[in-house]
Amino acid sequence: MTERRASFDEEALPHLDAVYRFALRLSGSPDQAQDLVQDTFVRAFKAWDQYTPGTQCKSWLFTICRNLFIRQWERGQRHDETVADNTRPEAPGQDVGNPLWSAVADVDPEGRFFDSIVDEEVLRAIDALPEDFRTVVVLSDVEGLSYQEISDMVGVPVGTVKSRLFRGRRQLQKALYDYAVEMGHIRGTHGRS
Amino acid sequence: MAGRDMSQEMISCREALRFLYEFLDGELEGAPNEQVRAHFDVCQRCYPHLKLEASFRAVLQRACGTPCAPPELKSRLLAALAEADKG
Repeated sequence: MTERRASFDEEALPHLDAVYRFALRLSGSPDQAQDLVQDTFVRAFKAWDQYTPGTQCKSWLFTICRNLFIRQWERGQRHDETVADNTRPEAPGQDVGNPLWSAVADVDPEGRFFDSIVDEEVLRAIDALPEDFRTVVVLSDVEGLSYQEISDMVGVPVGTVKSRLFRGRRQLQKALYDYAVEMGHIRGTHGRS
Repeated sequence: MAGRDMSQEMISCREALRFLYEFLDGELEGAPNEQVRAHFDVCQRCYPHLKLEASFRAVLQRACGTPCAPPELKSRLLAALAEADKG
């Protein structure tokens, strides 16, 4: 094994699970995720000389993974899925709390209804988000990346990251809440019986 | 007004909710972070917002955090890397 390979194995490979999880959420398919992960790591290894040791290896791998995914995705299909979020970037600052939570607070202030939602349904709801929203929500809420790291990765300003996070989370919260109401895990608060 | 301790000032509900995501995302520091925390500590009306957002996050982590890379992917990848290392 070359020295280059040894340092790659030491710094990059520990992120295999995280990159796989990310690829799984990007593509929605275990088969495609595996291909994506393999391409990501091989590409990262070939570009290993460009990586600055000690910097955020995980975000660098995520960036490669997402770029590969977007390229494949642009080549094929699903153009309708991109988010036209430059039309009206909803300023999170304008908001005064989620109106849905104001209503839920009366019946379930701890949010116990979330616990009753099975993983498959949560994943289905995440996968139903447009890619631009899905990526920032997963990177922030699951992988714990900072706004700046996500901004560097996705190539949009921090303000756009915040606005996508805001809208993506709201959309997802609404979907999970509607599901929980439908399943009878929580009493509806929007005039539903 | 110089020299007063900003962290002791109570901010409004509107203000606290405006910074809710930044607070939860660990993007606030120093006095603003303390002010938001102090508000949620005492405000019964806003506290559920914090709690519900935290539960939402927990459910995403539970659902997404479990899968590990399958062993066949790992062996496939190691073979591909060994190949790339040669050339």
